[in-house]
Amino acid sequence: MLSKVHHVGIVVQNADEALKFYRDALGLTVTADREIGDQGVRGVLLAIGNSEIELLQPTRDDTGVAKFLASRGEGMHHICFESDDVAKELNAAAAKGVELIDKAPRAGLAGMIGFCHPKSNHGVLVEFATPFEGHH
Amino acid sequence: MGAGATHIDHVVISSNDSAATAQRFSENLGIEIKRTMSRPGTRAHLEFAKLDEVVLEFAGPGEVQPYDEVAAKLWGFVLAVRDLPAAIAAVRAAGYEAEEPHKAVQPGAMFATVKTGTHGVPFAFIQYNALSNEEEQS
Repeated sequence: MLSKVHHVGIVVQNADEALKFYRDALGLTVTADREIGDQGVRGVLLAIGNSEIELLQPTRDDTGVAKFLASRGEGMHHICFESDDVAKELNAAAAKGVELIDKAPRAGLAGMIGFCHPKSNHGVLVEFATPFEGHH
Repeated sequence: MGAGATHIDHVVISSNDSAATAQRFSENLGIEIKRTMSRPGTRAHLEFAKLDEVVLEFAGPGEVQPYDEVAAKLWGFVLAVRDLPAAIAAVRAAGYEAEEPHKAVQPGAMFATVKTGTHGVPFAFIQYNALSNEEEQS
């Protein structure tokens, strides 16, 4: 069962520039900041209430995030819902006919994650996440 | 210190058919739609769900126009703050533009949009319980 919005993902050209607003001006705390090599992104999570804001900066040109940036520019990219069991969410979605990008959970910045294909949700990219133990 | 935001108040998902997109989210994700409204004077049809502290607002036209397919996208989001004038002052002091606070649609609340620095995201602050009953009526 989806319990909350874990984070909203924002694609940015340069995460350091975006942090000037989201961290410095808003006063939000960075909870994670690392490059995810296989996805070709630098991801930065900032805590806000019970949720987070994720800044995504492409580090290669051949990734979905880079293509999003090239075609649409900076802006909101995806919404992530927290669940205590990502595999269960993916299986339940598939049983309803939802097309999945990830048929099984994989490790991501937010924990174990999985994405639904945006065309199943009218163009909105939806992620499920189960945070690692002890994380937000 | 910053803007003193407490949480994401709502995330706006715009659609050419907001009722259809809300229904799709409900069917696919099990998200319960709690409320629908047509905002007076704006020709908008809105549907709302809430997970924990965050409202999902599905926003679209009041009169759906013919379309080939339903097209939705994540549009922007609003952060709740305890002190809207202080939040506006904080972002302005950091060099960003923000409009003057004004009454929100939500009763008793004040709202202000941040115009620059958000990296392509329509973004605003909202403060609940910002107005007295007298101010709300004026």
